[in-house]
Amino acid sequence: MKFEFVDPVAWGAITQQIDIEFGAGVTKSLLGNRAPLMISKNSSQMVYAIPPEWISILMEEGENLDIQFIGKELGSVEKGRFRLSLHILSEVAKMTNSFILVSKRGAEAFTYGRSIIRESVLELNPTLERGQRVFVLNENKECLGVAALSVDAFKINRLGADRLVAKNLVDIGWFIRRLG
Amino acid sequence: MTKKELRQRAKELAKEHGYLQYMIERYLSLWGEEDTLRFIKACEQPIRTAIRVNTLKMSVDLLIPRLQEKGVTLETVPWLNDGFYADFNESSPGALLEHMLGFYYVQGVPSMTAVSVLNPEPGDTVLDLAAAPGGKTTHIAQMMENEGLVIALEQDRQRMTSLRSNIIRCGATNTMVIRGDARKLDDLPFQPNKILLDAPCSGEGLIPLDPTRKTSKTMADVRFCATREDEMLEAAVNILAMGGTMVYSTCSIAPEENEYVLDDILKRHPEMSVVEISAEFGSSGYSEPYGIRLNESLKNARRFLPHLHKTEGFFICKMRKKERSAQ
Repeated sequence: MKFEFVDPVAWGAITQQIDIEFGAGVTKSLLGNRAPLMISKNSSQMVYAIPPEWISILMEEGENLDIQFIGKELGSVEKGRFRLSLHILSEVAKMTNSFILVSKRGAEAFTYGRSIIRESVLELNPTLERGQRVFVLNENKECLGVAALSVDAFKINRLGADRLVAKNLVDIGWFIRRLG
Repeated sequence: MTKKELRQRAKELAKEHGYLQYMIERYLSLWGEEDTLRFIKACEQPIRTAIRVNTLKMSVDLLIPRLQEKGVTLETVPWLNDGFYADFNESSPGALLEHMLGFYYVQGVPSMTAVSVLNPEPGDTVLDLAAAPGGKTTHIAQMMENEGLVIALEQDRQRMTSLRSNIIRCGATNTMVIRGDARKLDDLPFQPNKILLDAPCSGEGLIPLDPTRKTSKTMADVRFCATREDEMLEAAVNILAMGGTMVYSTCSIAPEENEYVLDDILKRHPEMSVVEISAEFGSSGYSEPYGIRLNESLKNARRFLPHLHKTEGFFICKMRKKERSAQ
């Protein structure tokens, strides 16, 4: 597949999307000393971060390589919207306050593709707003995936036990379910 | 036993136990009747499930009690740092949260052993040929502590999905997955100092896991695999850096796919030599299978056999390429 190093404009757009949702400086910490690189795949573009010492190899000989995956997969860009990869979820989750802590039962249901209901929520930052993406953590603070809040966080105490709080966007059980 | 008697006995045993005759003939020639019967019996027994703790994400000390709390019984594999026999009792090994989190990988003991023998270290450049589904790729990355470069080569588009998902699940960040044919490595712009070639094979060691293998492959299939393995080995030897190390492994017990192929490589490449494996496991490779004398050093290779080691059948050989001689 064709790869290209990410130009500053495209990288700026990605940085903005990540930082707005998960906190200023998150993208910079995530990238570290690595360089961003894109690989086009169907209608989307996969974004990776690679160590600087790989750059010269790719510049000189990369054209002949059918690279399918490289380094750290940051996410994908589709129709201008950036989606985080499962590869980096736990890393980003440690850098942000945008998370929802769920009970053992809620965690299990979430990894089977279910969304989060009120009775599963143990902790949620009250400043988070409806539509915002949050990391879903279990009681050990292990990242299980990403969900989108379906309600403003400060309103959840008004909800019934079985009402939806956050919709499952991606979870760590996805690959297992897909591959069997 | 004369050749005629051997054939007759092989025919009887093959019929009795549901194997193709050519397979039993070869086992009788290699091991004699007593061990052949032990092999056949062992192939009817289940293989113990094993896991590798993925130390990129979790320490052994933290994971073991956590799994034990969930009813998993664990026993150390003596020659592996992070390998454990695991009895999941009521649970399915792939369904636990710890598996989804990438804290362990369900993997056969021989497969873990092959990577352990290669001994990848931080900073190495390692080429993993025919890499999907990624058990060995992620193990290599783990031993390298995500430092250096793992080039994972895979040709099959379908299997690429499982390779990618396992890299992601296990948190390996030093891999470059390339689609390509392991027999054509000339264009790769790397000179790996370590290569793992776990070659696609006839799977003759997998009878305990897949009983259909007793009848699914003919001798022609074994020969076809041997030819492909020879081509892959040739390509791997050529790209390996001088002074580099290579591990060749298969899940086949057939000498035709193992010692014979390596003997040919050693004849064609005097710069390659078989080296001793320091860890204690398995039994020696064959230097005179079916009475045909091969390179004596092939005794340094190791075999896992179901009737001797209670694992699937497997072959591991470690080789080194000579350093460039000073002019």
